[in-house]
Amino acid sequence: MTTAIDIQHIDKHFGRTKALDGLDLQVETGTVHGFLGPNGAGKSTTIRILLGLLRADRGRVRLLGGDPWADAVRLHRRLAYVPGDVELWPNLTGGEAIDLFARLRGGTDPVRRDELCQRFDLDPRKKGRTYSKGNRQKVALIAALASDVDLLLLDEPTAGLDPLMEAVFQECIREACAAGRTVLLSSHVLAQVEVLADQISIIRQGRIVETGSLTELRHLTRTSVDAIVDSPAASLATLAGVHGLQDTNGHVRFEVDGDHLAVVIRRLGDLGVRGLTVRPPTLEQLLLRHYGDEPARHGAVA
Amino acid sequence: MATVTVHRPVVATPGRGGGRVTGTGTLLRFMLRRDRIRFPAWTLGLALLMGYFATALETFVESPADLEGLTAFSGSPAGALFGGPGFGFDDLTIERFLAGQYGLYVAIGAGLMGLLTVVRHTRAEERSGRAELIRASVVGRHAQLTAVLVLAATMAAVVAILIGGLMASRGYDLGGSLLFGASVGAVALVFAGVAAVTAQLSEYPRAASGTAGALLGAAFVLRGLGDMAAVQGSGASWLSWLSPVGWSQQTAPYVHDRWWPLVISLAVTVTAAAAGYALSARRDFGAGLVPPRPGPARAAAWLDGPLALAFRLHRASLIGWSVGLLAAGLAYGSFTQPLLDGFTDAPEDMVAIMGGAENLLDGYLGTMGLTMALAVGVYAVLAMQTLRAEESEGRAESVLATAVSRSAWIGSHLVVTAVGVPWLLLVAGAGMGVGAAVSTGDAGSFGGLLLGHVAHTPAVWLLLAAAALLYAVVPRMLPLIWVVLGYGLIVGYFAPILEIPTSAGWLSPFAHVGEHPLEDVSVVAVLVLTGLAAVTAQVARLVFRRDVVGRT
Repeated sequence: MTTAIDIQHIDKHFGRTKALDGLDLQVETGTVHGFLGPNGAGKSTTIRILLGLLRADRGRVRLLGGDPWADAVRLHRRLAYVPGDVELWPNLTGGEAIDLFARLRGGTDPVRRDELCQRFDLDPRKKGRTYSKGNRQKVALIAALASDVDLLLLDEPTAGLDPLMEAVFQECIREACAAGRTVLLSSHVLAQVEVLADQISIIRQGRIVETGSLTELRHLTRTSVDAIVDSPAASLATLAGVHGLQDTNGHVRFEVDGDHLAVVIRRLGDLGVRGLTVRPPTLEQLLLRHYGDEPARHGAVA
Repeated sequence: MATVTVHRPVVATPGRGGGRVTGTGTLLRFMLRRDRIRFPAWTLGLALLMGYFATALETFVESPADLEGLTAFSGSPAGALFGGPGFGFDDLTIERFLAGQYGLYVAIGAGLMGLLTVVRHTRAEERSGRAELIRASVVGRHAQLTAVLVLAATMAAVVAILIGGLMASRGYDLGGSLLFGASVGAVALVFAGVAAVTAQLSEYPRAASGTAGALLGAAFVLRGLGDMAAVQGSGASWLSWLSPVGWSQQTAPYVHDRWWPLVISLAVTVTAAAAGYALSARRDFGAGLVPPRPGPARAAAWLDGPLALAFRLHRASLIGWSVGLLAAGLAYGSFTQPLLDGFTDAPEDMVAIMGGAENLLDGYLGTMGLTMALAVGVYAVLAMQTLRAEESEGRAESVLATAVSRSAWIGSHLVVTAVGVPWLLLVAGAGMGVGAAVSTGDAGSFGGLLLGHVAHTPAVWLLLAAAALLYAVVPRMLPLIWVVLGYGLIVGYFAPILEIPTSAGWLSPFAHVGEHPLEDVSVVAVLVLTGLAAVTAQVARLVFRRDVVGRT
């Protein structure tokens, strides 16, 4: 498998603020890569470096086999970008903006463009200034998705979209993936990334702290168990990997590390289980584990 | 004709008439805080401008003979057009000349101050969405307009007091000085009222200030025509009484010292403000009185590259400037014959002082060429400011994320603006030419006028390239380019009066081409300025290419 994005150990400073601190990121061709992190972790900075809008202070960046700073124009023909906060020209209609972006990128499929306008329920005849945030977002999404490109760089692309449109978006990303496109999806909508991403990288304070498939990352986390048992369950607390056990009249709640799950479930069975809820960790929990302990240090620049 | 839809707000009237202006005091304090630089800059700036005129004139006028020399021009129709009705110019004193000749420009400045202040705190706030947050709190529907009108009135009063005090402190008659100050403040007040109306009409702040500014321009032209007629003793001198600027000038400070024309100014201000309140209650928040229409669902086939995009973005402004300059050209061109008449009626030695009747025509037409070049310079600078807005408002990023290089992006905007410059000069020159031909019944000056206008192109190009370079190096510093334009204006108009040395005047890009048809067009200057502009623009492109997007 080839690599669409290969970032090795880049740094980026804005004045005294260190936005990126030795960031590494590899995205394989044809995959959807979730790029997760809290606000200010450096997601947008990374994407802007990939676009050649910013230049990294140090490190090596390859995008579709080229240098994003030096070959910006050539590479931009093969990628489409959707920022998290789309700004449109106040006196151009949405339709004009869509066509313009597509043409500046080197062409579009008019049938697909119209189909996307319908699916996203966008009136392309309205002027840019009259669109709500969600509608401006749709304009950029349609322009990107209608383009015949190899790579989609999406920076929190669905901010402001309603759940219905969110579903349309997910459908479109699956189609793009089926067509062999690579997607870098930066987000803090965790459910979206959980559903779409093949691989996930978690960024924190300018560096990648965790990367892998969702399954791989789940190994690193705890599963929540909620059970109703007949026998006293205090003995569970002695097992390795069990945390925060609470037993209230046979209603047991605890968390267990992924790699100890098998042993704990077997023991739970011996206690005479009458009801059992096992929840896999959500990405919220993943993030909380990485950021929850140090909420005060999130001051880096986005 | 566009249909005007009227949306009546479905809100019960608050009891006992209260509530509509709730929060005015808080908003006023907030506006003062926001304008803590702008307020003193405008008021002190206008007072200092007047002080500068006074100092310069007192330095220049050393003997009664010098004063008489001034009368020769200022008492003429041309002087009336660019100054005023010339009250008491037959027995001229320095203060009469200051109020009668330069007062006009300070008054125009005050008018701009009034209208820009009102638009800034009303329509511009609504457009940006900030006003929505304000209106969602405990703030009455009319609080914002009331607060800004109080603010503008305060600014007008401060200007009036500063200028009145300044003139009195120089030893001029106290009553006349206070009246003169008040007459300047009155123009600020009237155009604040005018802007309170125009701010309701369209959704866009630029249209609001543009409409009010056009009315200010019309006020200038109306009183110019009226004053010319008054000086000649025949014709439609009543036209001056249709102009808010005219009312202020009719107070005749240091001559008749009459306050009553300012009552008209005050009445019109109150009426306009009332109309503003009434209109604002008849429209939805954020909307204009003219509803927006849907546009095309697809981009036109030609809209397919950075150059086409740049043209599309500058198109509306180009059309507006073309219409405006054509109208201005026609208006000023039509002044030609009355001007000549004024001088042929004058004593022969006076005509000789001005260089003879033949040169007078060429001199006037040449000066107008420079005026139009300075106006087109404003267009060029504003076009570069659009570029800055494209970047700071995040639209440049979306374009640069496509297959458009940084140098192609800035280059396309530069090309469109650079082509717009000779086009606008041509339009203005054609307007002048037609106006002059109709006015004098002789189309002989048409070709010379066109050349005289278009010849200034390289000077504006250099200004544009310098603006591009400033923008590329430090975008924040772009407004500094106004200094170059202002310098060009002062050198171009006042160099002989203010005794600016030739070497200093040389620094202005507008001082080299020559004011055709009075002077020959310097081919060397045209070539050198064009070369300099091309090199500067190229440097700007190279600098910009190396920089990053999202600069401040």
